[in-house]
Amino acid sequence: MAYSFEQHKIVGAIAADDDYWRGLEDGVFKLPRCDRCKTWTWPAHFRCGHCGSWDFEWVALEPKGKIFTWTRTQYAFDRVLERKEDVPYVTIVAEIPEANGARVMGLLKGDESGLRIGADVRGTIDPPSAKSKFYPSIRWNIER
Amino acid sequence: MSKFRGAAAIVGIGQTPYYKRATSPEPEVKLALRAITAAADDAGIDVRDINGFVSYASERSDPAKLMPALGTREVKFASLVWFHGGGLPATLNIATAAIMAGQADVVAVYRSMAESSSQRLRVIVAQNDTSSQYLVNGLDSPAQILALRAQRMMEFHGVPQSALYATVQASYYHAKNNPRAYGRNTEMSAEIYNNARMISEPYRLFDCSRENDAAGCVLVVSAERAKDLKQKPAYILSAPMGTMEGGGALEENWRPYYATAGQTELAERMWRESGYGPKDVDVAQIYMNMNSMGIGAMLDHGFFAMEDAGAFCTFDNLTAPSGKLPINTSGGDLGEGFIHGFGLVPEAVRQVRGTSPNQVPGAKLSLVTGGPGDLMSSTALLGSEETL
Ligand SMILES: [Zn+2]
Repeated sequence: MAYSFEQHKIVGAIAADDDYWRGLEDGVFKLPRCDRCKTWTWPAHFRCGHCGSWDFEWVALEPKGKIFTWTRTQYAFDRVLERKEDVPYVTIVAEIPEANGARVMGLLKGDESGLRIGADVRGTIDPPSAKSKFYPSIRWNIER
Repeated sequence: MSKFRGAAAIVGIGQTPYYKRATSPEPEVKLALRAITAAADDAGIDVRDINGFVSYASERSDPAKLMPALGTREVKFASLVWFHGGGLPATLNIATAAIMAGQADVVAVYRSMAESSSQRLRVIVAQNDTSSQYLVNGLDSPAQILALRAQRMMEFHGVPQSALYATVQASYYHAKNNPRAYGRNTEMSAEIYNNARMISEPYRLFDCSRENDAAGCVLVVSAERAKDLKQKPAYILSAPMGTMEGGGALEENWRPYYATAGQTELAERMWRESGYGPKDVDVAQIYMNMNSMGIGAMLDHGFFAMEDAGAFCTFDNLTAPSGKLPINTSGGDLGEGFIHGFGLVPEAVRQVRGTSPNQVPGAKLSLVTGGPGDLMSSTALLGSEETL
């Protein structure tokens, strides 16, 4: 299967997270854990800084977390103009307890009530679209 | 005793006017030439004798472009500091190291920026290394990314909005007395601040730095040479750079210090090397890409604890001549103008010379902090001769 994000690759950063995006396109939320020392490494990288291993296991997780922080964007910024008509929108950084508190970004889905640091969130996966630069994306719903 | 401490000094400063972004009548390279020649004139140094060139981040007026027009006799040393505004005070580290190692004699430290010659500052500062994790989720600019930290600082750690407002109030108050300040005629009040549009919550318009077209330069020479020049030298006592453990390109996964500036260990190294501490500082130029990040820098430097941020950050405490810690006395990144923070360095020098538009009487120790929250940052302490 050809993945959408691979045809629209965002370059310039470390970009060791291809398996994260592949996972989301396949409908699975996965984060990387060192094969040898079992340290969660997020954002993904090419080598485990703890033990020196080059191998990671991408572990499928339930997309459950807690809001670590958030912002409501009130202006259409240059490189994310695809979302112009969605302004204002809320982006959440969620901590994933199952992955030693790895923090994963995603837009808020659904209504804003209960938006606060520490609130429980559950992720759903949106397929690639122009708004997410043809990448799949996790969206965080506030659990009430 | 550190060999670095006091080995070099800033002996010349030069600045062009600040223009509204994209309206400079002159292109970037020409602005750089103006700032460098002005710094040489200020120091009483023949501009052709500048043989070291140091800048940071995405600077594009490189020495190859400048030397034909400066009449440079020889470029002996040139370097660019990683990453963004965090590299600002580290330029003084590089310049001093080059002089101490005998690799250069007169080093120009500078930054030039004109949107008409390049592109929107907030785009070019990103240097195309923003990861997909941000862009896919609607996050592009430093304002949005730093808003995530500000939200944590305010909602989780309880730093009040009044602390942010006090930095804005102090900046515009100081800008009024500075004829160079782009924001010198901007009226500021709690009402104007609160009613300004939201950019990315919790940041309102006036919490964010401006973007301007301008250039600035300071000249660094050895302490020995500094004694014989026109101006009172501002000695470089310490200018550490770095990233602490738990930092790096971690996309909102910094630990343990998420909500502040990532400068704790830098500041500790600076106090150790200089022999001074936060209580000794007379005046501070605090980099404010966004003002809550500047509050984070003051926290990291030990001026106050998180729980005291609201009590410390008041208009009275942050303003010259007699505040506890007068900050951004030229108006700073919020009120004077913003070319990647560079204006903070010449203002830190003016405080040591006694020529600031908002002079702190008898200022001897003058701090300038680098881009807070940058992937690598730096900080510098300047001092008069009696601090050596
Ligand atoms: Zn490992």
